[in-house]
Amino acid sequence: MSWHPANGLRSWLIQRLSAVYMAIFMVAVIIAVSICFPSSYNQWHGWIAHPIVNVATAAFFIALMFHTWVGMRDVIIDYVHPLALRLLLLVLLGSSLLLMGIWGIRILFSVMP
Amino acid sequence: MQEYDLADVNDEMMLLDALTLIKAKDETLSFRRSCGEGVCGSDALNINGRNGLACITPLTSLKQPVEVRPLPGLPVIRDLIVDMTQFFHQYRSIKPYLIVHEPATEVERKQSPEDRDKLDGYYECILCGACSTACPSFWWNPDKFRGPAALLQAWRFLADSRDQATLERLADLDGPYRLFRCHTIMNCVDVCPKGLNPTKAIHNIKQLMLKHLI
Repeated sequence: MSWHPANGLRSWLIQRLSAVYMAIFMVAVIIAVSICFPSSYNQWHGWIAHPIVNVATAAFFIALMFHTWVGMRDVIIDYVHPLALRLLLLVLLGSSLLLMGIWGIRILFSVMP
Repeated sequence: MQEYDLADVNDEMMLLDALTLIKAKDETLSFRRSCGEGVCGSDALNINGRNGLACITPLTSLKQPVEVRPLPGLPVIRDLIVDMTQFFHQYRSIKPYLIVHEPATEVERKQSPEDRDKLDGYYECILCGACSTACPSFWWNPDKFRGPAALLQAWRFLADSRDQATLERLADLDGPYRLFRCHTIMNCVDVCPKGLNPTKAIHNIKQLMLKHLI
């Protein structure tokens, strides 16, 4: 019998992996900012425009969106039982996360040199 | 909530002894009991807000007045007796027996002492229901989530060197509900009267799933 991991393990894994990435990213940002704090807008702009910082930040937002999706979906599955309401909340959650993700990445993309 | 005052109690009494004294006064009071020494798992109750076995809970350990309720999250049949159908349905659903695909052997199937040791902490469950009925994930989704007691048993059979249905068992537990409703709240560990750790069993199952994925 072959076994295909379905939703349960996959979501759980996404939640863990995104959490690990976000933790590493946040520690790295705190260290980077404390070593050389960007004191002007141009410095901030230059810092975030650096390709590595830019891509790492975009990955952070993607991880955040996935992490939030799994976590909020868990809360909704636990507490919201009427199917129509649950579907509505999931659609609202998914579309708002998707929009925020696209918005964030567009901003990051716009500061790339 | 009905109140009883008991005068003839002493320091060596367990809560079950006190309930028996009450029943001698008021025979309409109903509760389950059997062995009276924490082995059969019949008298799991909610004692001062915490699930436990009445027969091994000393009266002196409890704050007065003692408030005894039926196990939470299950339909009450009468007084302190709950309908455990849901609980045993969950237990049955994880197939709590060894599954072997090979033909039956002439002699017994042997297990090394090391492999036997892997079952310690998992086989001792007495199915009292204290853990599952203390679990919020069980309260919200009792029909879909398997609950800590059944999942502890699921691991007991996954961990058994003689069982050959690992993949079937894992496949059956996947999906958002059966196993993954557990959010590591650990009420189960807190209340288990046998000191077992269903959360660890659930963690082991997840790890085994991960091992089969990669």
